[in-house]
Amino acid sequence: MNLLTLAFKNLERRKLRTAFTIVGIALSSWVLVTLLGFNQGYKNALNRDIEGMGFQIVLTAKGCPYEAATLMLKGGTGLRYMPESLYPEIQNAPEVAQTTPMIMHAEFDPYKGENGGTTVFLGIDAATYPAMKPYFKFLSGGWFSAPNAREIVMGYEAAELEQREVGDAYLLPGSEQEFTVAGILQRTGTQDDGMIFLPLQTLQETFNKKGVLTMIGIRLKNDVNTADFEGQLYKIPDVQVVSMAQVRNTIVSLVTSAKIIVMSVAAIAFLIAVFGVLNTVLMSVFERYQEIGILKSMGALPKHIFMLIWTETVLLCASGSLAGIAFSYLFASVSERLIRAFLPFAPHGNLIELTPNLLIFSFLAITLTGIFGGLLPAIKAAKIRPLEAIRSENT
Amino acid sequence: MIKLLFVLMLLGGRAFAAVGCDLNDPDRDVKRLFPDSTGYKTEYLSVEKVGGEPLYQKMEAALGDKFSGIYEKIDVPYTVYTVLKDGAPIGFIHGVNQKGKYGGMQVVLALDTKGVIQSFYFQKLTSKQAAALRSPDFGNQFKGLSLTDFAAYDVANHAFPPESKAAKIQNPTEETDDFYAALRGTKKNLILMDNFVFKAEGKQ
Repeated sequence: MNLLTLAFKNLERRKLRTAFTIVGIALSSWVLVTLLGFNQGYKNALNRDIEGMGFQIVLTAKGCPYEAATLMLKGGTGLRYMPESLYPEIQNAPEVAQTTPMIMHAEFDPYKGENGGTTVFLGIDAATYPAMKPYFKFLSGGWFSAPNAREIVMGYEAAELEQREVGDAYLLPGSEQEFTVAGILQRTGTQDDGMIFLPLQTLQETFNKKGVLTMIGIRLKNDVNTADFEGQLYKIPDVQVVSMAQVRNTIVSLVTSAKIIVMSVAAIAFLIAVFGVLNTVLMSVFERYQEIGILKSMGALPKHIFMLIWTETVLLCASGSLAGIAFSYLFASVSERLIRAFLPFAPHGNLIELTPNLLIFSFLAITLTGIFGGLLPAIKAAKIRPLEAIRSENT
Repeated sequence: MIKLLFVLMLLGGRAFAAVGCDLNDPDRDVKRLFPDSTGYKTEYLSVEKVGGEPLYQKMEAALGDKFSGIYEKIDVPYTVYTVLKDGAPIGFIHGVNQKGKYGGMQVVLALDTKGVIQSFYFQKLTSKQAAALRSPDFGNQFKGLSLTDFAAYDVANHAFPPESKAAKIQNPTEETDDFYAALRGTKKNLILMDNFVFKAEGKQ
């Protein structure tokens, strides 16, 4: 009979104890895997939400009313421009993850409303702008067919107001210039819903604004300190920095707080598992004191006893860990619903991400805990003196 | 907490309404269209609320054309302004959205209590012919007409029966798309008002 079979048989002899031990380890493992999955999922979901916010920083010419609403209130006046040559400098900064150039133009339409009105156009680069607005989805159509196409993409409300569909003509206010509607965006709930987008180059050519930009949208790499980077941008003459730093920093601090709490709870779960295993196996050794003595008197060496007890511990931990991983996988959606119910702010998307790497890590962590946790009981068992052990039964 | 609320506001859910056609400045517009008025009341109606799918189909048949686009859906909220003088109704104002060649147009009608057009104007219009179509000469051609004159207008073929008074409406431009759109918008407006107001009053 080899050591593994003997260990199995020993565990099988005390079914209830073995079952409770495995359940204890499984619960600890379940908590550990779920918390690690939550830590990863929450962080990723928040990062996705940060990215979904679009630009973190908008660089505009000093004094420029970069928001469409402000621009309309000012009757389409007051737009200022910065040289397009500034763009590569910003684009190539090491802190920057993505950039997109934009040019805004407001045109007075004498026939819009009874007394005329202002229509705001945004010239964008279809190659870089969509990545900055990942929440943009097309209701119909798509982006422009070419960088200088005479096409427009309309926000949902702009299309609703103008009753435009893809393929319809659109008359540029105050002129005879016709454009074609290339796409209509779904609602976003932002000012983009009322916007009419043109290719950057087309807008620059149409409104004689070659070589200038109104804004540069910037998204930073995740580990970059926004405030420090803003400081660098302020060194550029005649620009202003519009930042989402406060919102971003709030989210980042939320992630950090959540990480600390989650890792603390995970560490406690881990410790519970270690001491649970240690206690159970030690109890088992004490219970089998006389039995171990007999084994030794029959010729079993200390190393055999050590290996037997150690193998039992590792088996308990490995099976408990596997059961815990299975629980966490099966009940991930229930756990997520519970977490969402209790969290004051939960980002969109999966809150618990159980990746293969995480599962392998958890299995190895719990099993290694068993390997180390089983050392003390195994050494104690190996040191048992046979005669003393056999006598102890009689006393 | 304020930061958290800001984040929630930024990332939270949003509510939306269907496209309607309100007067830009009701107080000013009502007084301009009905100088004798002393007040008005506003009612928000939709085909869905008034008669549901059967009415929607009936109105489509009466128009002689399919309703299309998000501005002609069954749940579109229409704003009916009942104009009052010393508490008694003296007329109605109602606008509809209509698709033009280059953009949306809003065709607003001021009607008397019998449904006769007192005033016609475009609250919004995007067209190369905007100046001509907005001119008082064009709008005045609609004065005195009612649904009776527009009921037989063939929207698909842009044709009035010769005996119809509305057949005399002249297109001020050579371009026809926006002119036809204006006629369709007017007919749709009159059909809606007939079902929202005049038929409902007849039933009472």
